[in-house]
Amino acid sequence: MKRLSIALVLCFSLVGCEGDFSQSEPVQPSPLSSVNGERPIVNIPMVMRQSNWAGNQREGSCVHAVMISLFRWQNRLHRADEWRRTYANGEWPESLATKLDREGVRYAYTTKGNVSFLEWAVRTRRGCGITVKGGAHMVALVHLDDKWACLLDNNNVSKYKWVSRESLIAEWKASYGWAVTPIYTPAAPLPISQ
Amino acid sequence: MRRLMLFLCVVCVFFFTSISYADRANGVLSMDRVVNLPNDQGKWYISIVGDVRNAQYQTILKWFSQDPALRKLKNQVHFCSVTSSSAIYKARYAANVKGLPTVRLQNSQGVVIYEAAGKNLPFTAQGLYGAIANNAAGVQQQPIFPWRQNRKRLCPSPSPSPSPVIPDLDPAPQPIDDGSDPVFEPVLEPESESSLPPVWLMLVTFVSTVGAGAVTKWRETYAEK
Repeated sequence: MKRLSIALVLCFSLVGCEGDFSQSEPVQPSPLSSVNGERPIVNIPMVMRQSNWAGNQREGSCVHAVMISLFRWQNRLHRADEWRRTYANGEWPESLATKLDREGVRYAYTTKGNVSFLEWAVRTRRGCGITVKGGAHMVALVHLDDKWACLLDNNNVSKYKWVSRESLIAEWKASYGWAVTPIYTPAAPLPISQ
Repeated sequence: MRRLMLFLCVVCVFFFTSISYADRANGVLSMDRVVNLPNDQGKWYISIVGDVRNAQYQTILKWFSQDPALRKLKNQVHFCSVTSSSAIYKARYAANVKGLPTVRLQNSQGVVIYEAAGKNLPFTAQGLYGAIANNAAGVQQQPIFPWRQNRKRLCPSPSPSPSPVIPDLDPAPQPIDDGSDPVFEPVLEPESESSLPPVWLMLVTFVSTVGAGAVTKWRETYAEK
């Protein structure tokens, strides 16, 4: 009976897992949409990427890690530092929304699996967090075009992971279709002369 | 008794987690936080890059908060204040700025419309706005006609404070809108550069010329009779 109860609790663990999100071989992107040739469009510098960490309840903090990386990309550096110090562990959409509201953060999210939300987030160069692995993990979506999607996994922030657009959407929709992003000013594109 | 308690605990866990998932599956918790997402992908970017301790950098930031034209421009673009000690500077600016502080205007595709750094920066807010607007006008191909200018006297203002206030918070968020290319106010030009004579002189010349012509013609027509 004790084993059964433990198994049941584990089955319904919150989003915020640890473990490498890499199930398939990485693929090369095709030279499609980009801003100033920069791919992925949301090209978060290495030192600004937040790695996942274990909270005081021994849960992963992937949702917070994604939000912190996006805060940094959107020039909310102090907010990112403060968020890192304050919050940890797994999150539900509504519990994260409560925290964002409490902190006065401007944000948008969907739990409807609406692909246009992802397209909007990448088109406006903000990026967003999306659920994967059946809703047990969140990664940052940093590129989405007609063929390819690019993910930044907080369990391994040293490299981007490119997957096909269809594969990404299928994975996301099978993972409760939750996506969330702050709405501030994204970093400027790399400059090119006239 | 102990087994009964354990069983009840397991049932409780199963019950509440099932409710949570059922709610999600049934859409009770499904909602969009923002219905009208800003379609601001066409917005231009202004980057103010500099050392946070540099007085000129702080002055330029202040201009974008206090000067009406620059403040309006700031609200029409993605405004990025970047300090030279930040990671974003090292990753995306250090290799391509010519000096500090730098003011850079880019369109949504990253094309640099205006850029000035250090001593090449105008030393007044009006001058900076004019430089930005003139460069943007060339790109946008929107001629600025002198007779549409809202002329007013430019008054000298006190010099900037030598002791800048170093901000310790994130900049205030910008308004959410669907802005694209910024709309620039007509640039004020000094009176001395105007190539047109005063309006009253033009009117007097016109009236006297017409009058003289009329008199001459009248004499030609009726004087012989």
